[in-house]
Amino acid sequence: MLEVAGLTAGYGGPNVLEDVSLDVEAGELVGLLGANNAGKSTLINCISGVLRPRAGSIRFLGEDITRAKPSDIVSRGIVQVPEGRQVFPRMSVLDNLLLGGTTAVARPRRADRLEQVFTLFPRLKERRPQYAGTLSGGEQQMLAIGRAMMGGPKLLMLDEPSLGLSPLFVQTIFRALRELNAQGLTILLVEQNLNLTLSCAVRGVVLERGQVALAGTSATLRADPRTRQAYLGL
Amino acid sequence: MRPDFFQFLRSPLLWIPVAIAACLPWGLSAYHLAIGTLALLYVSLALAWNVVGGIAGQISLANSVFVGTGALLASALYIRLGIDMWFGMVIAAAVSAILGVFMSLLDARFRLGHLSFALVTLAFAEIGELVVAGTDFLGGASGLDLPKDHGRFWLFEFGGGPGYFWAALVLALICLVVNQAILSSRLGYYLRALRDNEDAAQAIGIELFRSKATGMAISAALSSVAGTLFARYSNFVDPTLLASPNLTIEIVLIATIGGLGTPLGPLIAALVLIPVGEILRGQFGGTLPGLHFFLYGVLIIVVVLTSPQGIVPRLLSLRRRFRRA
Repeated sequence: MLEVAGLTAGYGGPNVLEDVSLDVEAGELVGLLGANNAGKSTLINCISGVLRPRAGSIRFLGEDITRAKPSDIVSRGIVQVPEGRQVFPRMSVLDNLLLGGTTAVARPRRADRLEQVFTLFPRLKERRPQYAGTLSGGEQQMLAIGRAMMGGPKLLMLDEPSLGLSPLFVQTIFRALRELNAQGLTILLVEQNLNLTLSCAVRGVVLERGQVALAGTSATLRADPRTRQAYLGL
Repeated sequence: MRPDFFQFLRSPLLWIPVAIAACLPWGLSAYHLAIGTLALLYVSLALAWNVVGGIAGQISLANSVFVGTGALLASALYIRLGIDMWFGMVIAAAVSAILGVFMSLLDARFRLGHLSFALVTLAFAEIGELVVAGTDFLGGASGLDLPKDHGRFWLFEFGGGPGYFWAALVLALICLVVNQAILSSRLGYYLRALRDNEDAAQAIGIELFRSKATGMAISAALSSVAGTLFARYSNFVDPTLLASPNLTIEIVLIATIGGLGTPLGPLIAALVLIPVGEILRGQFGGTLPGLHFFLYGVLIIVVVLTSPQGIVPRLLSLRRRFRRA
């Protein structure tokens, strides 16, 4: 479904990513792992089109999207939940969600999808008229995921959804992700939380200093001592 | 378009003040009516700026270029080529909109960020003043004199004080309605989402360039129309007044003191500050020139220290708290 090949990227300075390749098949939940500064966020920013890669190619559903506009990529079905939640604080929860389904492709199905999001996160339904900025961290993460779901993604990319959340909310979020995946949604999950990610991902890719250090099924990664070493930067 | 826009259009809170204002020419002296006209022109300018500066949250300092284009280009086309000023107004507005879109293009292409955007637009304003000073077609540094107003409406002549007051009132009303329409339409939500978080907005498929360029084009076109009306009203286009960055600073100050984002802030601030400034100038202009600028300075310091979101949002939230208590 998603084929990233030989991707090199950076932010003006030296390369943050070098020659990274990654495949995601339809229906999979793939974990993208690695320590801070390993290049995880850079990689998904390239996929979502927010950052232009320096070299390499990204293909989605057989089509090249390396140089496509972010809005175009969203319309094609890749939606990103950015790191640190990033809801629109001065808009209501409902407006946040409706904005998530604003592309021409998603607009006709907004009402159905809103119901689906409220089924997934009943808490959001209660908080509909509230300003998003007044929600707790966990609720904002639910909102960010719900907002992304409104776009009707074929591939959902999440950047550190567990960051700064209480263990209880982390459980809720990951239960929701598993549920979405069971319904057939393909998910690319960027996480630092190794055990949690490997517990719900089929496969994992470990990045280390901008390069793919390891890749394999969750079971092999969990058994491999090099996975932990990559985290500790050894 | 959300239903609250049509509620706004039907609201007596909109039409009663407009109706009262429309009667003012029968009650005010020529001097006070002139102050009223000026205040209404500034309402238009502040509201036009609010589309980009308030709703989209981008501090644009190029609005003097748009006002200057509206004033000078439309006047020059009329004087030199005999093009009807109505038509000139449309041409100038289109040129301003294109200039605005170009600035948005630079912003989107080079991902300028807030500070750089402000500086780039300021550069445009400075260049604009120099271009005007060096272009004889636009009157150069000495400005343009418009022929006498004979009250011929089809030639963009409104025939004296009351006519221009009504014209300025209509334009201010249009600017207010446009602001409200943007706020309750998709564009307004896009612009506010981009203002609050550009990356998150793009991640859900909001088009950065198209949204910002549309907002900029609307703001530029409205500023330009206000410039054309200003020119015809004062019969003389002074480039140091209408094409200089000082005008933008004044607009930005008024809008910021009033409160950005909602149209009410810039509207009320212009209606209060311009008359106060003019009356101060009338009273103390001989002995203390520039007193109104001093007043703006003091006010902006007070506002920034006590209620950074602006006076009008502050008063509204105080009223809400008072009601609850």
